[in-house]
Amino acid sequence: MTIALPGTETTAVQPVDRPVERKGGAKGGKSGKAGPVTYTLLTLTALVSIFPLYWTLVAGSHTNAEIAATPPPFLPNASLFDNFKLALEQAPIGKAILNSILVAGSITVGTVLFCTLAGFAFAKLQFRGKGLLLALVIGTMMVPTQLSVIPLFMMIADLQWVNQLQAVILPTLVSAFGVFFMRQFLISALPNELLEAGRVDGASTFRIFWSIVVPVARPAMAVLAMLTFLTAWNEFFWPLIALTTANPTVQVALAGLGSGYVPQRSVIMAGTLLGTLPVLIVFTILGKQIVGGIMQGAVKG
Amino acid sequence: MATVSFQQASRIYPKAERPAVDALDLDIADGEFLVLVGPSGCGKSTSLRMLAGLEEVDSGSVLIGNRDVTDSPPKERDIAMVFQNYALYPHMTVGENMGFALKLAGVKRSEIATRVAEAAKILDLSDYLERRPKALSGGQRQRVAMGRAIVRSPQVFLMDEPLSNLDAKLRVQTRTQIAALVERLGTTTVYVTHDQVEAMTMGDRVAVLKDGVLQQCDTPGSLYDRPANVFVAGFIGSPAMNLVTGAAVDGGVRIGGAVLPVPRDQLARASASNGEVTIGFRPEAMTLVGEGQGLPVLVNVVEQLGSDAYLYTKLAGESTDDVLHPSDVVVRTEPRTAAAAGQKLWLGVREGDLHVFDAKTSQRVD
Repeated sequence: MTIALPGTETTAVQPVDRPVERKGGAKGGKSGKAGPVTYTLLTLTALVSIFPLYWTLVAGSHTNAEIAATPPPFLPNASLFDNFKLALEQAPIGKAILNSILVAGSITVGTVLFCTLAGFAFAKLQFRGKGLLLALVIGTMMVPTQLSVIPLFMMIADLQWVNQLQAVILPTLVSAFGVFFMRQFLISALPNELLEAGRVDGASTFRIFWSIVVPVARPAMAVLAMLTFLTAWNEFFWPLIALTTANPTVQVALAGLGSGYVPQRSVIMAGTLLGTLPVLIVFTILGKQIVGGIMQGAVKG
Repeated sequence: MATVSFQQASRIYPKAERPAVDALDLDIADGEFLVLVGPSGCGKSTSLRMLAGLEEVDSGSVLIGNRDVTDSPPKERDIAMVFQNYALYPHMTVGENMGFALKLAGVKRSEIATRVAEAAKILDLSDYLERRPKALSGGQRQRVAMGRAIVRSPQVFLMDEPLSNLDAKLRVQTRTQIAALVERLGTTTVYVTHDQVEAMTMGDRVAVLKDGVLQQCDTPGSLYDRPANVFVAGFIGSPAMNLVTGAAVDGGVRIGGAVLPVPRDQLARASASNGEVTIGFRPEAMTLVGEGQGLPVLVNVVEQLGSDAYLYTKLAGESTDDVLHPSDVVVRTEPRTAAAAGQKLWLGVREGDLHVFDAKTSQRVD
């Protein structure tokens, strides 16, 4: 007599047809559909968030006097383009935008690449001094940027990079926050077995990074890219010091706008709007990646 | 295809009290299907990973096909591995997953396509080549993981508990499929599992490990019929072999007030250490004897399985109040005429089915 195991008789598993019942409406309150209160709150929040941008648009399309009047205008009009022209005459905004795109773009690409590399190394590779190095990297986050301005400027001056874009790009090419961010993401999102499978398949460590880690890290890279681009775009203090008005980034150029006894707010607003456009475009492009990436990363498999 | 050899291979994790794998000596023949089995923490996965090159070998050596690979990285060992959690690349399609290793090796694209298509055909994955892993069921992912290994035509297959993540029914089905597949390919395979049923049904030979030490490496039949020590005796077979310890007396071993007869020479060897002997007998090796003749037991719980019935009994004189230990002796009987709970029985062991171990060293003596 053989030992009989329960379940050794295998039959084909028939798919079970279960009708999916959707319970809409207010029953229970946990059915996942948002109620009118939620929608109202969300709409109000969205309006409050968008308002500054909208006001920039409105203020940029009127004159100083019109803005100061009561009631203030609420709709933009075509004199926006007149203000654009004024802004472009007062400061080299076009060139500044190009510079900023170059600078912020380079910083973003460099930061995402290096931080992912470093984050991967700290998350998954073993090497001597790892703990100490990580502590050092995180420690740099505690040093305020203002402290490093003077030594940095002396270095830049020695290299004769004053008023050159590399003076603005290179110092911020890797951020400690980025390294830490990628490390935390990769520790949980990258299973060790995936890397081992890559090693058994014959991949070098760099190939593993390029073919396995980067695709998995894409959602985090998109988030980091967005944050980095925004920070780099809005950077004012260091570009103000390292660059002159001959070769400015957008924020530096905007600072020179509308100067006079009474600041010309309308011109400043128009200029600001011009300066914000590229960022809005970036958000539109990368925003979808991030949402998709979050969904993908949420399901284990 | 090649032989595999562990020669006194050891792995000690830093700050650990004892080695994870302790001087493992194992020789695997070309084309053999060897199963490493044992309870959690016994060192079976570690041994497999040492063979794969994913784990350092602290002392001893590992050979594949007479080539010392102890210090070689995984890609130079010509092995392929199937992981417990499949470890499929989530951003690649099934076809790309299976072809990745070949792509890394610089194989021509057309040949990669051919080999992937072949493997997909064997595993019934041809319709899924363009899908991503997240769109596959557990069983399908398992097959992709196997396909990834097959496509490389390696010298050795390594499988680390590949069936653990499948549900029971699928596990049984896939078990036979893997066995058939490996038989067809004829590749040397090292398979790790904690399930002794998988071990017994799939392996040409089975190596039982405990606490990093190899207990016995033998064919399933030999492991079942002649376990080398108490651990193997109790690990292989379900329900487990009955193991009772008693003092050696004239003619046998005193258990539960009765004396179970044991051949004199075995008795002498077994009791040499401290006078105590451990006796083992499987549930199906028992017979019901007349009153007063065998081992008296009291039936505590009866399990009806349809084809058999198992009687969970306590030795006479032991209390049945301890619910955490409902039985001393398990007996298999015919289902229709099984005894009832509370009944007193006398048990004998069939001729030749008695296993005798030294109680102190736990080693077999016959």
